[in-house]
Amino acid sequence: MNKKKFLANFLTYIFLIVFTVIALYPIINVFTISIRPDDRLLSTSLSIIPEGATFKQYIELFTNRPFLLWVWNSAIVSFVVTVTGVALASTAGYALSRFQFIGKQVSMLGLLTTQMFPATMLLLPMYIMLIKLQLINSYLGIIIVYSATALPFCVWQMKGYYDTIPFSLEESARIDGCTKWQSFYKIILPLAAPALVITALFSFMTAWSEYIVAAQVLQDTDLYTLPLGLKSFQSNLTTEWGLYAAAALVVSIPVVILFIILSKWLVSGLTLGSVKG
Amino acid sequence: MIVSVLNKHLISATILLAFAFSLLTLPGCGSNKKENEIVIWHNMRPEEKNVIQEQLDEFMKLHPGIKVIQLYKETEEMRSGYIVAAIGGEGPELIYGPSDQVGPFTEMEIIKPLETVFSQEYFSDYNKDALIYTNNSLWMIADKLGNHLTLVYNKDLLPVPPKTEKELIESGMKLTKDFNNDGRTDQYGLVWNYTEPYFFVPFLTGFGGWVLDSLNQPTLNTPAMVAGLKFIQDLRDKYKIIPNEADYDIADVLFKEGKAAMIINGDWSWSSYGNAGINYGISTLPYITVSGHYATPMVAPKGYSINVNVDDEKLAKVRMLLEFLLSSEKQLETSLEVKTFPSRTELYNDPRLLNDEILLNSKKQIEQGRALPIVTEMRAIWDAMRPSYQAVLGGAITPEKAAQLMQEDAVKKIREMREDVDNPVWGLIVQVLMLLIVLAALFFTRKSIVAFFRSFKKNTFAYFLVLPALVIMIAVVLYPFIYNIILSFSNMSLSHIHDWKITGFEQYAKVFVEPQFYEFFLKTLIWTFSNITFHVVIGVTLALLLNKKLPGTGIFRTLLILPWAVPQYIVALTWRGMFNYEYGAINLILVKFLSMSPVEWLKSPTEAFMAIIITNIWLGFPFMMIIALGALQSIPQELYEAADLDGARWFNKLKTITIPLIKPVMIPAITLGIIWTFNNINVVWLVSNAGEPSDKTHILVSFVYKAAFNLYRYGYAAAFSVVIFLILFAFGMTFLKRTKATESVY
Repeated sequence: MNKKKFLANFLTYIFLIVFTVIALYPIINVFTISIRPDDRLLSTSLSIIPEGATFKQYIELFTNRPFLLWVWNSAIVSFVVTVTGVALASTAGYALSRFQFIGKQVSMLGLLTTQMFPATMLLLPMYIMLIKLQLINSYLGIIIVYSATALPFCVWQMKGYYDTIPFSLEESARIDGCTKWQSFYKIILPLAAPALVITALFSFMTAWSEYIVAAQVLQDTDLYTLPLGLKSFQSNLTTEWGLYAAAALVVSIPVVILFIILSKWLVSGLTLGSVKG
Repeated sequence: MIVSVLNKHLISATILLAFAFSLLTLPGCGSNKKENEIVIWHNMRPEEKNVIQEQLDEFMKLHPGIKVIQLYKETEEMRSGYIVAAIGGEGPELIYGPSDQVGPFTEMEIIKPLETVFSQEYFSDYNKDALIYTNNSLWMIADKLGNHLTLVYNKDLLPVPPKTEKELIESGMKLTKDFNNDGRTDQYGLVWNYTEPYFFVPFLTGFGGWVLDSLNQPTLNTPAMVAGLKFIQDLRDKYKIIPNEADYDIADVLFKEGKAAMIINGDWSWSSYGNAGINYGISTLPYITVSGHYATPMVAPKGYSINVNVDDEKLAKVRMLLEFLLSSEKQLETSLEVKTFPSRTELYNDPRLLNDEILLNSKKQIEQGRALPIVTEMRAIWDAMRPSYQAVLGGAITPEKAAQLMQEDAVKKIREMREDVDNPVWGLIVQVLMLLIVLAALFFTRKSIVAFFRSFKKNTFAYFLVLPALVIMIAVVLYPFIYNIILSFSNMSLSHIHDWKITGFEQYAKVFVEPQFYEFFLKTLIWTFSNITFHVVIGVTLALLLNKKLPGTGIFRTLLILPWAVPQYIVALTWRGMFNYEYGAINLILVKFLSMSPVEWLKSPTEAFMAIIITNIWLGFPFMMIIALGALQSIPQELYEAADLDGARWFNKLKTITIPLIKPVMIPAITLGIIWTFNNINVVWLVSNAGEPSDKTHILVSFVYKAAFNLYRYGYAAAFSVVIFLILFAFGMTFLKRTKATESVY
């Protein structure tokens, strides 16, 4: 038995290591670009540490570019979108999972269908609409658009997770004297912590990495978010690849930190089983 | 315990929400049209950008009341972004770019004629190529001439540049070397981005050809074209002085590393070679002795146009700014700094310009060059040349056949772009039909609507929970949706940007008679299903392993999400590099560790398609992994314990416990994953370099973008998008019905 278990664990690690290497290799390449002394996307050599490696791009990024401003702007936008996404998706998903009401099927399908139209075609009318609403050059405009981008997935995902939590929990809560709202936020919501984590991560990433809408809506450089800032290192045939790569890596750090913080709730399982049992 | 923790969470959540909404109101209030602000959109490279910023700072010091903002945008994105903004009545005051953007902009009437803004004598000192006229009006004033290709050579390897094509081949052969005799070339005589038509043009002109005649009809099926194509083939296959596979970045890197003696590249690239430590020189492209013509590049002035939406009051300020930026003094400053060529003739005898070797040779090349045609037809020419040219390079067709196909394709594309459908009868029928559908929809749902209002009272709580999300969705999506559906029945195109009207079903008919529609539909299906299958299988497997909670899994978990966390753009391009035939990591692994033969990933359609799928699998598995990890938490441990007592094997547990219980969470993710992947244009675009080789590596959305949107066929593009939407809608309905995802599990 023990031998078998040992073998299983050993294979698990092998598999994880292989996939981690595959996951990391292209990113290590990005790192190599970022420390290459001249702006080169490619190289004919495969060495990870290039000749004349330098961290000057990172220093340039933080000292001579408004990088921290972009980080701050993106952080604000992403934070608001995350909060909005979590708040609206956790409630809407709950209603769709638990209640029968007219328009339920239609709303669920409606949410899905919003994702089906090729996004490039929606840009022109969306832009015209934002102009009419005076939302050009404002965060309010992109926050609403981002929330709408993130919500369909988040709502469906929350609904799916609530579906795995038995009805009996609320029923017993109601018998104990909880209101509908109380039994939702006190009993069910904490049990859905893993789904909330996914919703939060997804909403955050939607706002953190979006470029096309931001490029059309935000014209004021003071309002630039990270993807817009990064793009400014680029130019048709002469991109500042070193800076771009350095910035791309720095930009992923907040995402990783957020993930590390949130994964406590993602994998803790908050003893759903014991409540159920 | 749980309850008290929760209360704390709830309080903090409320505070956060309040904070969030106070934030929302802040930046939204500012007015967005500022009286004293001038915005310039441009596609200048970083050094040029620095120079113009300094000049703008100087201008703002002179005119403290005016604020000027320069914004970089990538050429194509700048154009489409400007079109969208200008049609919406907004956009930057000034737009700066190569002269060919004047073509579409004037046809769409989104830039101002300039002869009324400046007096005639103001133009007396300009090189006439710098003033872009069409239809007897002036639309752009250039400050730079150029954007032209020249021969750049590494002086350490080649002291004297070749003058003729024979010398080019001769020195190329001498300098193409395999130092260690391993059968791989270590140094090339010549490299350049020769797979791209713009970079091929010098060899079309070199054999006496050109792209358009005086009536703007394509002239691609000519002996010159055939000779030019054969010449490139010979350079690669007969003389072997250029690499087998070369895109812009590979060519660039070979020259920068000193592994190529010559490169054909434009004025934008030169200074970067100096920065990379190459002792380089500039020379005109060779004289082709067999034809008696010089190989000449296209020359494009770059300059400013004024947005049609600029009002008179602001126009005075804009004019002041232009006079400042276009002055001889500023032009000279720029020229000396970034090696571009000025448009003021009084500078042409300035000793500071004449003494600069690079600028002098650049000038010679400009004088030999031919002006890039500014008509919109050029877009169709490029799009028609690329696939057949690349097919010749891939050995799929002969140069003769390619020339013929290019011509046919260009004629077809121009016809499509210019096509004007106007069918008042059908237009009216469609409008009546639309009205009827809306009325019928209202009529047939009237009971549901009444019932909805009745049940609202009963189900207040549920509606209270679900409505905020729905309202946001409807607010954002409804208008663009309806707009597009109407557009899909219209004739909106290059010549009908403002005055489009509903004309009937023509655009739909065109979608279905497009022969490539079915080919790319099939590719889209393969693309979507292979991606999703791998995403789910890899994601769920990893999640299962990580969920075993062995020591160290936390680290693996964090590392494995990295492909999701790093911005897509740069990793997608990194993957493209990894697929390179000679230098890419993937072929190296195949050859060294798996003893396989190298694969020409990016050169043949099937392999290139595999390459984009592999890249997207890598990008997408972490997301499914996270979702599966979350889903696994909903499974009570007791179920497994009970199964263990019954002596169940792991496979049985997987089948009877794990899969059914993660299904409710996975199904939404899979459904949306399929929809997103179906419409995912980014990865396809980046890895295959917009559909290369030969426009074969497309899925439906990238095809519609290239074939319709790029040629400003908006009505057609909208109809195509509606078709894509309907395909996905049909799929979505069937899939959900099969998986019963809209219904509750318990």
